[in-house]
Amino acid sequence: MVQYNFKKMTVVPNGKDFIDIILSRTQRQTPTVVHKGYAISRLRQFYMRKVKYTQQNFHEKLSTIIDEFPRLDDIHPFYGDLLHVLYNKDHFKLALGQINSARTLIGKISKDYVKLLKYGNSLYRCKCLKVAALGRMCTVIKRIGPSLAYLEQIRQHMARLPSIDPNTRTVLICGYPNVGKSSFINKITRADVDVQPYAFTTKSLFVGHTDYKYLRYQVIDTPGILDRPFEDRNIIEMCSITALAHLRAAVLFFLDISGSCGYNIAQQASLFHSIKSLFMNKPLIIVCNKTDLQPLEGISEEDKKLVAEMKNEAMKTVIGQGGEATNDEGVLLTMSTLTEEGVISVKNAACERLLNQRVELKMKSKKINECLNRFHVALPKQRDSKERPPCIPQAVLEAKSKQAAEKEKRSTERDLENENGGAGVYSSSLKKHYILANDEWKEDVMPEILDGYNVCDFVDPDIFHRLKELEREEGLRHEEQGDDDFEMDALKLTPEEQGMLSEIRKKRSKFIQQHRIKKSTAESRPIVPRKFDKDREFTTKRMGRQLTKLGIDPTMAINRARSRSVSRGRKRERSVDGGDTDGGDAMDMDVDAPNKKQRMLSRSHSRSRSRPPIEVVPGEGFKDSSQKAKAIKKARKSNMMRNKNARRGEADRVIPTLKPKHLFSGKRSIGKTQRR
Amino acid sequence: MPQGDYIDLHRKRYGYRPDHFERKRKKEARLVHKRSEIAQKALGIKGKMFAKKRYAEKALMKKTLMMHEESSTRRKVDDDVHEGSIPAYLLDRDTTTRAKILNNTIKQKRKEKAGKWEVPLPKVRPVAEDEMFKILRSGKRKTKQWKRMVTKATFVGPGFTRKPPKYERFIRPSGLRFTKSHVTHPELKATFNLEIIGVKKNPNGQMYTSLGVLTKGTIIEVNVSELGLVTPAGKVVWGKYAQVTNNPENDGCVNAVLLV
Repeated sequence: MVQYNFKKMTVVPNGKDFIDIILSRTQRQTPTVVHKGYAISRLRQFYMRKVKYTQQNFHEKLSTIIDEFPRLDDIHPFYGDLLHVLYNKDHFKLALGQINSARTLIGKISKDYVKLLKYGNSLYRCKCLKVAALGRMCTVIKRIGPSLAYLEQIRQHMARLPSIDPNTRTVLICGYPNVGKSSFINKITRADVDVQPYAFTTKSLFVGHTDYKYLRYQVIDTPGILDRPFEDRNIIEMCSITALAHLRAAVLFFLDISGSCGYNIAQQASLFHSIKSLFMNKPLIIVCNKTDLQPLEGISEEDKKLVAEMKNEAMKTVIGQGGEATNDEGVLLTMSTLTEEGVISVKNAACERLLNQRVELKMKSKKINECLNRFHVALPKQRDSKERPPCIPQAVLEAKSKQAAEKEKRSTERDLENENGGAGVYSSSLKKHYILANDEWKEDVMPEILDGYNVCDFVDPDIFHRLKELEREEGLRHEEQGDDDFEMDALKLTPEEQGMLSEIRKKRSKFIQQHRIKKSTAESRPIVPRKFDKDREFTTKRMGRQLTKLGIDPTMAINRARSRSVSRGRKRERSVDGGDTDGGDAMDMDVDAPNKKQRMLSRSHSRSRSRPPIEVVPGEGFKDSSQKAKAIKKARKSNMMRNKNARRGEADRVIPTLKPKHLFSGKRSIGKTQRR
Repeated sequence: MPQGDYIDLHRKRYGYRPDHFERKRKKEARLVHKRSEIAQKALGIKGKMFAKKRYAEKALMKKTLMMHEESSTRRKVDDDVHEGSIPAYLLDRDTTTRAKILNNTIKQKRKEKAGKWEVPLPKVRPVAEDEMFKILRSGKRKTKQWKRMVTKATFVGPGFTRKPPKYERFIRPSGLRFTKSHVTHPELKATFNLEIIGVKKNPNGQMYTSLGVLTKGTIIEVNVSELGLVTPAGKVVWGKYAQVTNNPENDGCVNAVLLV
């Protein structure tokens, strides 16, 4: 008994991947080391094992593919036909046949080459034979590549087919496009089928489940069928026809009596008559939908006649099942899915008819006779003629009646809205149900700023801690930004200073010359901007020396440079006028924050990065502190820092071992090892 | 959309996450670094395979880039050389023309007389006898060594029956017998699986020819009826010569090239 669990089929790999998987498995799972000094039988066995192992793996995998795909002749004809409609039975069978032939071919190759390997008398010969064998097997798989790709696509599509059980109680809905089949199924089941004004919104079968009399019913929504000759039908319509033809279900034929689907009643009736052969032996109910637009009594005479004809046809099915000829109430029903009147009654009628039919069939079948004697409904024997009705306490009855009354009386917000003018006119006061110590506070406006503080800032008891964390983060981010540009004030120069300036310029030109020399060797050095100063040439000491050479007292300049530099620790008093930091936003109440930040900044350059473990406050969507710490670590790693120092990156060539042993050691068998 | 397309349905109803596209873009950007990490860390056979694949990708990329730049780069142009033009130092010579154009059949007759044929593999590696035969010991004390077993691929005709084992000197094991060969037509560049009719000549010696040993360079006759060749006279050609181009005992199959 095949399970229709198409979701459990293993993935079909494509040709290349298939070969890679099997060959790498052979390489891993069979011994890999062999030397030509081994005994010949050992060499032969080594290579024969590889050939056989590869063949076994191919055989296994191809067999699973062939076994897991359903055989269209062995499964329920509904699925067989559905798969034929969707994927063309011939193509499907051909693909599977190719897989099968590939399997046998690989078996033959393996047998032939193992036979040849027995005559191998050297390592080279055995190895060549093994290579030839594996190569041929892989060529076979390469050739069936397109079949594998096709089967994989089919498998993916099959796994998403709705799981329809062809043997259980089913209600089938059919009719022209846009008559309201999907809306109906949305109303009675939880299937969320797309409902749109254009035709052929539903393009495949949809399944929903509903309950009636403690039994579960499958409701199948089909794509609309147009009135065409059978040969002209496209795949989508063929899906519905297949479902109609093979499933033993109650059929609900939907009729749009308002004609808003674009087809009048005559067309729908002609469709009915063309497919009525499919309704044999199935409880048929004709449902007139969209009665809110056009009631059934209001249609024209010819239309009424057509409807009556259809009703007669449906009556025939009732009679065919042995029902009474006069019971025509269950055959023609009206409803409107928009206003939801009549929907439940249609469902009940369909389920009832189906249930009766199935019970009758079961009673008539031979199997039931075996079990019939096991059914026995036990009723207590009447002791005397005294009436003993069920006993319900008075309180319960009163409560029930009160509840009923309450339900009708309770008015919702929506009713209130409608009374006061509708959605645009009245807006319900959301604060009506606030639970406060004093009811008068309900309508009060909450202030945003109180006594100079933000009210929202005091919402969380942990808020101080979080603030500290945030500022720490800010500090980290800050040290990655460089310093601001140095701004030179425009100074007025005396002729003496001008002379000095010209000297400075001369010196500068010398530097430029030096630089040009450096440039010529630049290809072997990384070009790094000056501010990174890898060689640490530009120190305050050097500046001081050069300034004294020029005759200027360097102390002020040195102090200024030091005050702006980040690499020295700053004292606490200076923190207040730290103008270049972003501490301007610091909150007044947390005086410590700017200092801590600057201390963080200062530490980073002069010391190696050993920080005390950061205290982490749980929250912000994390389960606990450890998870948050992990997330912070990951976040740090995920942001790729720009390689501004021109250091070696991941795209640069790496020599993993600079001195491999085999090149730097060992004697030569002949000759000298004066140079390597 | 079909009921089973959960992902598409969810996307249709609720749209994408607010940061979906950005995350996707960033993930794809990170793949580059991931690939570089794999390329540097993969060792062994995996590393080699990855390196090979990656090299092919890079070569292809370079080619396409070159193609795109083709229109903007300039190149030196070489003029085509006229047919029949000769360099300056040969200009003043007289060339002699051959007066008689020889007939094709006459040429062939001459070649046949000389015994020389044009074959794709004129020279082959000589095969020593100890490589060709394996010595089988026989007799009660296993001292007799006159039996030999052929270790290379052989062809025996369809009506072949072994000599009685007591008298058989050269044993051709059935596992090494081949009846079909993969014959390539040099002009059509197509390969066919044709039956071998017989071994015409083995370059290592006429003993091997008589034994039917197939080594590299052996001339065999194959059944070409399925090619449908016809002589100018109108007769159907069904046998043609071919030369073996591989070592059949190492590859498990006989590959040959048709001699046209």
